[in-house]
Amino acid sequence: MSVPILEARRITKSFPGVVALKDVSFDVRAGEIHALCGENGAGKSTLIKVLSGVHPYGSYGGELLVDGAPARFLSVGDAQKAGIAAIAQELALVPALSVAENVRLGDWPTSAGLVDWVEARRDAREWLSRLGLDVDLDTPVEKLGAGQRQLIEIAKALRRRARVLILDEPTAALAEAEAVRLMELVRSLRQDGIGIVYISHRLEEVFALADRVSVLRDGSTVSTRAATASDRSALIRDMVGREISDLFPRRAPKLGAVRLKAAGLSAEGEGGLRALSDVSFEVRAGEVLGIGGLMGAGRTELLMHLFGAWGRRTAGELTLDGAALKAGSPGDALGAGLALVTEDRRRHGLVLDQSVGFNLSLSTLDSLTRSGLIDFDAEAELNEQDREDLRIKTPSLDARVGGLSGGNQQKVLVGRARRSAPKVLLLDEPTRGVDVGAKVEIYELINRMTERGLAVILVSSELPELIGMSDRIVMMRAGRVAGDFSRAEATQERLIAAALGQVEGA
Amino acid sequence: MSSAPAGARRISGDVPRGLALAGIVIVFAVMTNGLFLGARNLSMLAIELSTTAILALGMFLVILPGHIDLSAGSGVGLIGGVAAVLITKHGWPAPPAMAAAALLALLIWYLMGRTIVTQRMPAFIITLGGLLVFKGLFWMVISNATVPVSPAGDLNIYARLTTTYLPPVWGWALVVAFAGIVFGRWVRRAARSAKYDVDEGFLRALLGTQAMALFVAVVNGFRGVPLPAILLGLSAVATIVLSEHTAFGRRLYAIGGNEEAAHLAGIDVDKTVIGAYVLMGAAVAVTGFLQTAYAGASTTTVGDLMELDAIAACVIGGTSLKGGRGNARSVLFGALIMATLLNGMTLLAVPPEIKYVTRGLVLALAVWLDTRLAR
Repeated sequence: MSVPILEARRITKSFPGVVALKDVSFDVRAGEIHALCGENGAGKSTLIKVLSGVHPYGSYGGELLVDGAPARFLSVGDAQKAGIAAIAQELALVPALSVAENVRLGDWPTSAGLVDWVEARRDAREWLSRLGLDVDLDTPVEKLGAGQRQLIEIAKALRRRARVLILDEPTAALAEAEAVRLMELVRSLRQDGIGIVYISHRLEEVFALADRVSVLRDGSTVSTRAATASDRSALIRDMVGREISDLFPRRAPKLGAVRLKAAGLSAEGEGGLRALSDVSFEVRAGEVLGIGGLMGAGRTELLMHLFGAWGRRTAGELTLDGAALKAGSPGDALGAGLALVTEDRRRHGLVLDQSVGFNLSLSTLDSLTRSGLIDFDAEAELNEQDREDLRIKTPSLDARVGGLSGGNQQKVLVGRARRSAPKVLLLDEPTRGVDVGAKVEIYELINRMTERGLAVILVSSELPELIGMSDRIVMMRAGRVAGDFSRAEATQERLIAAALGQVEGA
Repeated sequence: MSSAPAGARRISGDVPRGLALAGIVIVFAVMTNGLFLGARNLSMLAIELSTTAILALGMFLVILPGHIDLSAGSGVGLIGGVAAVLITKHGWPAPPAMAAAALLALLIWYLMGRTIVTQRMPAFIITLGGLLVFKGLFWMVISNATVPVSPAGDLNIYARLTTTYLPPVWGWALVVAFAGIVFGRWVRRAARSAKYDVDEGFLRALLGTQAMALFVAVVNGFRGVPLPAILLGLSAVATIVLSEHTAFGRRLYAIGGNEEAAHLAGIDVDKTVIGAYVLMGAAVAVTGFLQTAYAGASTTTVGDLMELDAIAACVIGGTSLKGGRGNARSVLFGALIMATLLNGMTLLAVPPEIKYVTRGLVLALAVWLDTRLAR
């Protein structure tokens, strides 16, 4: 076997109070996709930071080898020179600069001291076309979708002659079709001899792509196997350290009366740019209504509109328990009996600097207020109940919520939403960036809530989740309903066809 | 108070702040041969602290949700001036004149807050405009002249604001009442919560009572507890309760921490922020009356740069200018540092140019510390 391009030997890394990595060895060869799996907090991010020079030489134990020779990266720049590039979840692009400017960010070609834009554009076009990305080079990056931005980031890395590409959850922000395109690209990069470290919570992707799979748990390597020698359940067992028998434990519901009903809903955003048109659906007590579709199909806009946080209604009606629902703001919506768990919990959900308890009770402060003052005892009691009931893993309710893992942060948001005793719960990508164990706990929570007569609207980009957890599925496309499927009718093929506009089932 | 907002519980910065204050006090005490620590000067300092601190408390409520008010100093001059003109030039009795000026302050700050949130304008720009507009209006109102706060020979309530002292016995009664409240709270908390640190709580209550007794003992050596100190005490309690014990305060922290998340959590962001501006208007009115009364008359320089002292007090007190972080107790500490600096320098007859330089450097130092500690 050839010498690995990049090898990490017996890496140990501690932070004050915690050992993040214990004796971890990991390597990637040319023309190989090596998947790295593990729950949040298992040490994946730390390992990547060691590999890519974010944690400099000397701050960890063990050694790194590039082409078999010891390497000491003192900075990200050193790692890049050695051909190692990490594409983080939060991309390092400048939103207001153009595509061309971003591709050559910080490395603009100059002639006579001035930036040579002709050359920069030519070069940028060449790299982007190699990745199959056809965009106007002058478009500011902020106007592009998540998938396109990711490609620009990859182009940037390849242009710097990256030989090892570390992709951290590259499909987390992508819709199904974009994810498929990205995976094809990753395969073709492997063909070109690039070594790829691929991190994903989506196990289907791991098995579709990887040559080898390594699992980290609690900072140690649990296993490294050829992908063909592993399977889903073995991988999950390695990751969580126990068997998870049922990934989507949806229990057959007892349906009640119609709770939320939308009839011919149309709405438009600022400047009429994005819009919803003629959206109709209904969701019953005890039911989970799944909403799928590609990125930009209007799923998030629909949820936000229901919640009074997006768009101006131009037509249609919304009723809750038979009465007209008028929600002009999230406050109104909460008052009427809706609750929302947002797609981007760090940006739109949590007050990261504040405590777990602060975040749990943020929506229900009025009900905790006695003669003008917050009843701290009553608040602490409810928070404690939620912590136990939702199994939120936190050192204390006073701990900063920003320090929790993704799954636990998500539980805090679900807890807050549940606290307002909603009739309809809107969940936007509730398991994005959440590890397998916490995912199942969130699914169980959905089951328990629907059993108590709550209606749930679940937006998800992951088709297995959508099919596994929904009782009905509405697929959206370009702001319209593109298909409405019962649980029995819903197959991946049918749903994708509807999302792409090849109507068949509806 | 286990669930008070995170910023409200930080005490780590109190140690460097305490050391800084002790250093300043020692330097001034030595340089003035002890005059600085005399009963008369400390009484004056208490009055000066009241004006700085009340404005700083208002500023704190505005900075908490991530806003700022640069117009506060001009507002102090304008509101104090309006009341003085109503009394001196229009013959109004002091109470309705002051009430009218205070209502005007509430209205102006309501409108300013409303403009900022509904028109999505940066607070910095709108209140910078306010700084200039109010300064101009102020000079128009007082016709660029000196307007006394009370007609000649008649000491009205306005003039008495900063010349009234409580009889010594009342001062001691206050100490007893204060001790009763803090130790009462200590007993209640110790009985109710197992997690409460009984010893630390006792120490805090004891230290607080001792500080209060020392203060009363010293100012009784002059004329007694000055009325502005009472107003400051009331403002401080109100601000602490508001920011830490009410839903309104919790919402201010949430908005400053993450406005979008606060909005989606059902908080009426606009209404809450406007509320903070209205309270700022109230702080401006009270400070305007105190500051003008302390000067004896409304003159063109009343309120000059007070907004910067207030902001500096907040920042020295650990309030993040990005919002979402800080607590009222430490802001009081910051105000004490600013007021002490100014008082000591005045006592030493430091020329005004040096005073400006010193205040500026202290502000810069504080902001530098803010950015360092924010990470």
